[in-house]
This record gives sequence, C-alpha cells and structure tokens, in this order.
Amino acid sequence: MTNSNREVFLDKIATKAGRTRHQLKNHPFVPINDLPESTLAGKSQDELLELAQKNSEAVHVTFEKTNRISLSTLLNDFLSAKDINNLILPTCDKWAAFGLSDWENKLADSAEFWTPESSRTENLAKVNAADGAIGFADYLLAESGTITVATTPGQGRGFHFLPTHYLSIIPKSHILSRSRQAMHKYEAAIASGKLTTSNINFITGPSNSGDIEMVLVVGVHGPLDMTYVVVEDL
Amino acid sequence: MTISTSDKPFLTRVKESENDHFMQQSVAKAQDAQWDKRTAAREELGNWEQWRDLGEQIRQHVIKYLPDYLEQFSDNVEKKGGHVFFAQTDEQAVNYIKKIAKEKKAHRIVKSKSMVTTEINLDKALLSLPETSLMETDLAEFILQEDNWDEPTHIVFPTLHKNRDQIQKVFNKLGYSGSNDPEEMAKFARKYLREYFMQADLGITGCNFAIADNGMINLVTNEGNADLTMAIPKTQIVVMGMERIVPSLKEAEVLDNMLSRSAVGQKLTSYCSFSGPQVSGESDGPTDFHVVILDNGRSNALGTDFEPVLQCIRCGACLNVCPIYRHIGGHGYGSIYPGPIGAVLSPVLDGYEKFGDLPFASSLCAACTETCPVRIPLHQLLIKHRKVMMDKLKMDHSFNNVLMKGAGVATSSPILFKIALEGAHMGSAPLSKSKETSVDNLFNYGHIEKAPSLASGWTDVRDLARPPKHSDDFRSWYKKHKKEQQEGASHD
Ligand code: SF4
Repeated sequence: MTNSNREVFLDKIATKAGRTRHQLKNHPFVPINDLPESTLAGKSQDELLELAQKNSEAVHVTFEKTNRISLSTLLNDFLSAKDINNLILPTCDKWAAFGLSDWENKLADSAEFWTPESSRTENLAKVNAADGAIGFADYLLAESGTITVATTPGQGRGFHFLPTHYLSIIPKSHILSRSRQAMHKYEAAIASGKLTTSNINFITGPSNSGDIEMVLVVGVHGPLDMTYVVVEDL
Repeated sequence: MTISTSDKPFLTRVKESENDHFMQQSVAKAQDAQWDKRTAAREELGNWEQWRDLGEQIRQHVIKYLPDYLEQFSDNVEKKGGHVFFAQTDEQAVNYIKKIAKEKKAHRIVKSKSMVTTEINLDKALLSLPETSLMETDLAEFILQEDNWDEPTHIVFPTLHKNRDQIQKVFNKLGYSGSNDPEEMAKFARKYLREYFMQADLGITGCNFAIADNGMINLVTNEGNADLTMAIPKTQIVVMGMERIVPSLKEAEVLDNMLSRSAVGQKLTSYCSFSGPQVSGESDGPTDFHVVILDNGRSNALGTDFEPVLQCIRCGACLNVCPIYRHIGGHGYGSIYPGPIGAVLSPVLDGYEKFGDLPFASSLCAACTETCPVRIPLHQLLIKHRKVMMDKLKMDHSFNNVLMKGAGVATSSPILFKIALEGAHMGSAPLSKSKETSVDNLFNYGHIEKAPSLASGWTDVRDLARPPKHSDDFRSWYKKHKKEQQEGASHD
C-alpha cells in the first residue's frame, strides 16, 4: 500500500509544528485580496485582442488576425513560408466550426494526424518527424500572450513540444484577460465532467533558454517559432 | 544529505571565488540585467506589494495546514491512479526511486531540472544501477553533467559561472565541431538530447507546486524539456520538497505569475504545466505516475522562528540582489542552495556544524527581504541563526568551533568584511544606539531600533543587530576569543 508511511510522516510534521491535524475544514483558504480577479478586469474583447497581440509579439510570437473565410489561405501561406513538408494535425471536431473541413480533407493524404487509435510510440514518432504542427488552443491570455491547451486523445502532450514550427488557432471569443480566468474555466469544465484530461499546458511563445552566458536562445527543446492565429467568431 | 558542494573551508572557497573574475563579471551582469527585467515585470503588473501580501498569505496558509494539504494531495493523486511515497530522509527517497527504476527495468532516464533531486544526490544513485544511463535535459544541467558533474552556482541559472568557450569545449567532447555561438551550441544540444528523449523509459521531474485539490503537479520552465519528460516516458517520478504545495489551480496560477516575474522578469515562463497520470484515451504521458514527498530536514523549521523559510518558491531573486553573492558567486557558499535563501535554509536542513558560517556571510542590508515575493524576512532569519548559535554556545562550549568559524567569516575575508561594513553602515549608524557589550549580540556595538526604509516594517518588533564600525574592535574581540578557544583546546 503506497500510503503505509503517510500517517507516520504527517503525524511527525504535525507534532513538530505543534499543530493538530485536520483543522483545514474549519479554516479554508480565503484570499486576502481580489487582485487575481480584478487585474485587467472589465476589458472588451477588442481591447483584449489588442493587448494579446502586443504581449504575444513581445515574446517573439507571430500574431495573425483573420476570419473563417481567409483562414485556410493563411494556413497555406504558413506552410509554404516555413517550408513545411511533414505536417501534423490533431484529430478533433473543430475543423467545421472554423470552416476548414475542405482544407483538412485535402490534406488527409499528405499530412499526418495525431489519432486516438495510434499507440504512444506511433503518435510520438509522427510528431517527432513533423516539421510543422497546426493545432487548436482552448484560450489565449491577453496579459501574457499565452495559449492554453488541455491534452485530449486527439491532441496529445507531445503535439505541442516536438514539431519544429507550431501554429495555434484561437477563436477571438476565447481571449481571456489573465491566467485566473483560464483556471476558472478549467476548474468548471473538469468539475462538470465536460473535460477529462491529465494535462494542461500554458504556452507563452517559443521554447527558450538563457543558460549560455545569459544570451537568449530561442527553440531549445520545443518549437523554434510560434504563430498564433486569432479567428473572428463574434 | 548532500547539499554540500565543497569540502573546502568557507574562507578558502571565498578566496577562490574572488579570483574567478569571469564568474564575478557574469554574476554582476546577470544581477544588473535581472534587476531591470524583474522591476519592469513587477511594475507592469501593478500593486506589487499587495501581490506580495497574497503570495505570503498563500504560502503561510499551506505551511500552517501542511499535513492536511499533503493528505488531500496524496488522496487525489491516488484517485487518479498515481502513487505517493512519503520520504523522511534522502536515503528513503533514493531507495524508493531506485526500486521503481528496477521494477520498471528502466535503462534510459531523462531528468528535468530539479534542486531537490540534486539535494538527494539522485543522479549518481541511479547511475549505480546496472545498464542504466541518465540524462539531465535542461540545457544548463546538461552542461554541468557533461562537465564532470560540475556544481550549480545559482538556483535559476546554474551555469552562470561558465563562459561560452568552456561550454564549447564540453560539447566538443560529445562530437560538436561548431563555433562558440550560443545559438549554434543550443541547436546541437537540442538534437543530441532529442535522440535520447525518444528512447527514454523513465522521466524524473521536480515540482514547483503540487495542487492539493486535484492531485496535479505544476512545473514552470522555459525550455520545454520538462514537458518532454512528462510526455515521452511511460513512467514518471516527481520529487518534491514537502512544502511545495498549494490549495488549488487558482493559487498555483498566482504563484506562477509571481515566480516568473521574480525569477526571470517574464509575465509567465514559456511553459507552465499542470499534469498528472495519463487518462483513458490519451496515448502519451505517464501510465505509471509516482510522487515522492520529501522532508529531509525541512521539518526542522516547523514550529520555530525559521518556519517562514518554507514559504520559499525558489525564484532566486534574493540571490540576484545580494552584494555578497555578487562577489563570491554560488560556489562560495558551498551549498547547492546559495545566496540569502541558502544561508538561511542550509543550516536548517543540514545543521550549524556544516553551514554555521553562512549566516555570517551577509551584510544584513535587507535587499533580499525587500525583493522576496513571498515576504520571507531573510535577513531577520540570518540574525536569528546567529542568535541561536550564541545561545548554543552558552549551553555547550564545544560549539565554540562552529561559532568561531562563523564569526571568522565576517572578519577574516577582506571582501566580506568590507561589504558588511559598508553595506550595513550606510545610513544606519545615526539610528543606532550604544548598548553594553554582551555575548548575546554577536555584533556588540549597538542595536538599530529604527531602520532605514530598506529594512522598514520589521524593526518595529525586533531589534536588528548592527555590525561593527570600521574603527571598532570586533576583530580584537574575535582574536581574543579565538585565542581563548585555542588555549581551551590545548588544555583538552
Ligand atoms: S527566499 Fe524569497 S526571494 Fe529568495 S528564492 Fe525564496 S522566494 Fe525567492
């Protein structure tokens, strides 16, 4: 039983602290202020979009705004600009909502898909070989230029980290002000059973490191560059 | 316990660090650059002092109810199909992890940066297993590993003491033939490590914050290696100090924001991840998920004046403002936890015998306390350490050695002495009042009752011991006691 040593451990620290266990239910955490909620509160979706663009570009993200009609052209431009030959796409039901059903169908033979039916080894091999990924984000955080993605059977963890170039599609209505608002959404979706996931990633620009003489190097383990495409849906 | 990074005496280490001019320049450059970035990031957020109030409150609350939160967290990990092991010592933690590695027949282990695994010397223990290889995958940790396991020098920037030529030489041994350009070298490391990653069967990570109410762990990184460590291998072992816990995703989010701003001046780092064992339908991520919760001396702080040290979120900001760290770098401290936090934490974890000198390696200028995002009264705790050592001295004269060693730190190294005098005396002398010399106050030259603004807030409730003035004879006091000590020793 993995818990066999737990009680001894917890009793010991309670004794050392001089505090009795199991007091928390009468003393739940109540925050001293509402800054996480009130910071950047009350902004319109247009204001959030502007802020998101500014903050995304500050972290080396290529930021595009488009609508459903122009989206497929923009994606094709991305593929040719980055010279992508091994594209990976997620398996999901969002293509139609973004007017991309035809675009996706045309790529069915040439692109790889992260699929729920494939094994770990197969999916990871596909994303490792991919020089480009186009996926969907759950939210975009205006304050920090962060996209958030929960792992799903059709869009696994490795999808966001192994390809060389990465593009993320976000509906404009899903721009939130800060990470607090995203946490509310995820907590609610998990509690209601709408979302079952093992992993949530907050991704802010491309992978980077300052480990060699503090010189900023972009693209150490994850994608070398990031493109966010915000699609008008309001 | 292996938080020691050197067997050499403190003053020898300081001397060596003083002669390492590249390291000194790098630290100074890093401190200055981080100062600007950190300040800008905090200003842009606004209401920084109120954010600190919130950060402090979250951390104090979880430490107060630590057993309850750990219980809730472990229940939730197990509900998700994971396993939790509570380790009172480094040995227990290492044995458990070795057991899992053997059971899983792990041959290729990937690790992402984790101070706590350095603390328990995990890498070497795992490498002692037959047919096992291990790779540190954070770029800095990879460089240290390939440079014959060199010791880290900073908790956020472990290779601050190395220049690009030294790193190029390390990479040459691995077959690299390119230039000393950081980008080119990083690309080489990416390719080299990617090949290893794809074959890895066991991943080991640290944990910035464990989420009590859902059993996830939160990692805050920039490179992406931690996420690959959590995606590719079938088994993941998380090693966390027992204090690294928060009530829910909401408090994790608050602290991630404060950590990113304080550590690297970013609003959020590139990757903030919240993760647990694979769920049905997913194809990557760990199917076997273990969390090792480690005490290893942390509980020494509970119920004592040192309890606030457990609030630490390891942002490294206190290192980045410290005048002593600026001069002696990480290696000078001889602990994997250097700087002001290291000077407070190391003696708590591993005792005064080994680290009693560190609380004296401080100018008590209070810059660390001022910058700490979770309001740990660092310089107050350094003074407290000195006081505890003095009390021990009264009780137990065999403690003389430790104390003298520590007191010697402040006086025998010209550079530390100078910083201590100049730093702490600037503006403080007019506020101090003379007090009769007593052994209770190591610096027997007066107490400060009203501190300058830098240290404001806490002198209202406690006097701050002042270091000696230039002209005063603390050195004589020290010499006299050293002589007595030697005479005492010769009579033993
Ligand atoms: S003591 Fe405070 S400033 Fe220093 S590393 Fe810990 S949280 Fe950061």
